[in-house]
Formats: sequence, C-alpha cells, structure tokens
Amino acid sequence: MSQLTPVAAAGTPAARSASTPAPSLAIRALDLVASEWTKFRSVRSSFWSLLVAVVTPIGASALVAVAFANAPASAGPPPDPLLPEVLSLEYAVIAVSVMGVLAFSAEYSTGLIRTTFTAAPRRRAVLAAKAVILGAVTLAAGELVAFTSFFLVQAILAGHHQGVSLSRAGVPGAVLAAGILLCVCTMLGLALGSVIRHTAGGIAATIAVIVLPSILGLLPAPWNGRIGRFTLLDAARQVAALHPAANLFSPGLSLLVLLAWPAAALALAAVLITRRDI
Amino acid sequence: MSSALMSNAVMSGAGTIEVDGLTKRFGPVTAVDDLSFTVRPGHVTGFLGPNGAGKTTTMRIILGLAAPTSGRALVGGRRYDALIRPLREVGSLLDATALHGGRTAWMHLASVARSNGIARPRVTEVLRLTGLEAVANRRVKGFSLGMKQRLGIAAALLGDPPVLMFDEPVNGLDPEGVRWIRGFFRELATQGRTVLVSSHLMSEMALTADHLIIIGRGKLLADMPTAALISSSGRGDVLLRSPRAAELAGLLTAQGATVTRQDDGALAVAGLDAAAIGDLAAARGIALHALVPRQASLEDAYLDLTGESVDYRGEGTAPR
Repeated sequence: MSQLTPVAAAGTPAARSASTPAPSLAIRALDLVASEWTKFRSVRSSFWSLLVAVVTPIGASALVAVAFANAPASAGPPPDPLLPEVLSLEYAVIAVSVMGVLAFSAEYSTGLIRTTFTAAPRRRAVLAAKAVILGAVTLAAGELVAFTSFFLVQAILAGHHQGVSLSRAGVPGAVLAAGILLCVCTMLGLALGSVIRHTAGGIAATIAVIVLPSILGLLPAPWNGRIGRFTLLDAARQVAALHPAANLFSPGLSLLVLLAWPAAALALAAVLITRRDI
Repeated sequence: MSSALMSNAVMSGAGTIEVDGLTKRFGPVTAVDDLSFTVRPGHVTGFLGPNGAGKTTTMRIILGLAAPTSGRALVGGRRYDALIRPLREVGSLLDATALHGGRTAWMHLASVARSNGIARPRVTEVLRLTGLEAVANRRVKGFSLGMKQRLGIAAALLGDPPVLMFDEPVNGLDPEGVRWIRGFFRELATQGRTVLVSSHLMSEMALTADHLIIIGRGKLLADMPTAALISSSGRGDVLLRSPRAAELAGLLTAQGATVTRQDDGALAVAGLDAAAIGDLAAARGIALHALVPRQASLEDAYLDLTGESVDYRGEGTAPR
C-alpha cells in the first residue's frame, strides 16, 4: 500500500507529557466509563440480554397474577399481593447474570482483555467502570420491570379485589427494592466472570451462588429460616414483600444481605484482578 | 487536546524500552531468564527467537500484563502501570485475533481510543493509515487475519506513541501486506520512534530490522546491528559438484574441511575456500562441475545462535 503518509507530522521533539498536563482522576474515570459504554452498546448480545431481561418477567408476572387471582380462597391465608412481581423478576436472573459474566469472560476468551488492560493498566478501575455501566443499565431495567409488573399485576388482582395501590404504606419501597434484584445478580455475574475468566464456568458459578442456597429452604423448620435468611433469593423476596416472612431477617437487614452478596464477590474480584497474569 | 494528538511529539530520549535482569518462571519452567536489553528510538529493532523462546512473555511483562518473578521492565523510564495515558506512550499489538467478533472495526477502535481520552477523528485517521477505511463499519468476525493485523496496528497507532511494540505482526499478511508493513515500520522509526518487532522468522527480520535482539530459552543470545550479526558468523561455505564427489569429500576432510553431502549430491564444504578446493581437485585431476562460494546468511547466523539448526554433518550431535 503506497499511502505511507506520516503517522503524524513529525519534528516537534518536545516531551508530550510536559506540554499536556496529566488529566485529572475524574476525567480518566469518565473516559474509562465512556469506553465501557461504547463496548456495551456496540455488541448485539447486550441488547438481546436486556430485552429478554425486561420482557420475560413482565410477561411472567401477568401469568403469575392470573394464577394467584384464581387460586381457591380456602387454601390458607391470601398470598402476598407483591409476590408475583418478585417471583417473575427471578425469570430475568439468568439473562442478566449471563450479561454480567460476559462483560469479562468474553474479553478473556477472545484475548481482548489484553487490549483493555494495556489501555488501562489500573485493572480495578476497569472493573469499576464495567460495574458502573452494567449496574446503571440493569438497575434501570430492573426498576422498569418492577413498576411495570406492579401495575400489571395489581390491575389483574384488582379485578379479584386482592390488589394494592402504590400509595399504600410500604408498597413503593417494596417495589423499588424488588427492582434491584437484576442489578445485584448482574454485579455477581460481573465479579465471578472476572474471577473465573471463562464464560461457561462463570455462568455456572453465578447461577449456583444465586440458586443453590435456596435448596436450604427445604430444610425443616426452624433451619429453613435460620439459614434461608442469608440466601440471596430469600432476601430478595423479603425486601419486596408487603408482608415480610416472620422467620427471615427484617426487610432492612435482608436488603443488607442482598447487597452483601455482590459486594463480597466484587471485593474478591478486586483483590484477584491485579494479582494474576493475563 | 486533539490538536496535541495530531501534531506528533516524539519524546526526546525518553522513548526507550529497558529490560533489566528480567526473570519469569511459570512453576518449574523458566520462560525468561535474567534478560537485559535496551531498545532505542530511531531503529526498527527485531526481537528474535524460536517459538517458545520467551518473546511474548517478555512483551507481556513490558506491558504490565504479567508480573516478573524478578527484575523489571521500563518504558520511557517508567513502569508501564505507572503510565497515565499508556496508549499515548506505547502502542502495542500482541494478538491480532484478540477482538470481539460482533463489534465493528470503528467501534472497537472507538472504545479503545475513549479509554485514553483520544478524540474520534484519530480513529478515522488510523483506519485510513492502515487502509481499513472501506471496512470500518463491518463486524470484525468477517475479517481475514491480514485485516485483523491491520486493525491491531491501527489500534497501536491511536495514541501516536513514541514507542511501538508488535508481536509477530507479519503472520497472516499477504505479500503486499508484508511489504507495506516493512515500509511502515521503517517510516515509524525514521520519525524517531522506538519500534520493537518480534518474529521467529530470521529471513523476515533481515529485511525489516536494522538492530536485532535474539533470545533463546529466555536468555539473551545477541544484541547487535543486523549487519554485524551477519559478518560475525563464520558459516560461509563452498558448494561444489563433481562426478567424483565421494573421493573428493575424503580428500577435503583429510585437509581439515567439514563436508556435508546435500540431498542432490552436491557437497557443502566449510573450512576451505574455493581456491584451495579448486587447486586440490586440479592436483588430483578431479573434474568440478560447480564451485560456488556462499555467504553466511542471517538465517545461518540465527540458527547458530539458537542452536536449532539440524546437523547434517553426520557426527550425530547438535551444535549445542
């Protein structure tokens, strides 16, 4: 190819670092976040994962609400009117977990991670930038799902005189809290994808961490509650319930449990990410 | 900011790569063994060694991707992970296939550029410099290896850096691409940049590099100008053909020469020059059908150093 034009106009031997002051930490952080946003929106899987994560639970919530509304009244105390919404959100858990895992595992499997870390040698900053983008996107998606499902579910239940209104005490907080489940699972996936570095392994580990502890709910009382209160999914149901279960932590403590899972995983990822060769 | 990017400012004297007592062990395997060298601006420096010699590992350590067991590597006097905007100091290409196939070339470069605060027009510019303008908006999974190499080089150029490192950049390029890349590296060096290019192909480096750093099994074998390496090799020999080759081979060996029989029946004679061989043959009345002195090639010098040459001389031992 003959267009060997100079890469740039040569001949100014002044040190660049002297001529342009080092950008502030805030600007560099913003650049990294913007870079991760460009990566996120430039692959189709992001769009499809989000679509699945939004459409599936909204559709499922309507079905669960119909089932609730038609349950025989004699079958015990009436179910929590907010339960269909959080149960349905769980259908989106796999989609967003995969999205979280792929943020790192796709870069490790292609080798792109080397480009990423040569462009940004402070690896924890990359982890943080990915967390900011994925966290913001999935939090928005989760709240969108939570409120859309809420209105859909209550409209269906209202026809059977079981619905609650958003103005009722405790309801707005419960719906908001339900919406963070997707963000929590995405962060868990992001962290485990960074730790495990393989897509299949990362997904398996994330799903295992989210789902397997729920088996403990099958233990005989009181152990189902004593152990179950520490599990991610039980904590999510507790914070999203209108009538919290008596054998689990209070909604406030359950929120801490819910946030502790991704926080612990991200802390582990932050420790390991600088220690290993790429 | 963008104007500063466009007007190149190659740092005076700062664009060196210094590797100092570098050692890297993977369990029981020592991949890099007390390696020290300095790469200076204004040259294309070839980083040579057989596959597995430790070239990529060394480059990964220079780029902060792998931690050395001991020793250190500095770029422009600093550790790589201390660089604030690394892409403006060092451009690198380790593996051209390390791309997300679903992303377009433009988006790939845009995401890399953004991480270092490099303005968008520079993305368009490096695509033009590498001849990828026409495919800028195509997903890279459809790219040939040669196109991916160009894209990798484009990414390395984004920050207009004074130091450039390429790992096996010629792999996958067609002959036209190979010629393009040679000229490109020379151009970058002429502009005063430091250009380190690794390869396991001596013949390629002979045409591309004016300085060579040769390693084998993680150790430094040579660090010298390309021309000096050729002349330092004592591997010049003489190729001859004769209808009485076997008889002549015995005579030459008796005179202290090393004679190697080639597959086609010719003899490669080392240790005697063409005149001495011709005189000897004439004195015995042996006809010669060919008598060709051969210069040691860079390939020979390289094989001598790396000990990878196969010994045809029949003593049954490798040179090292």
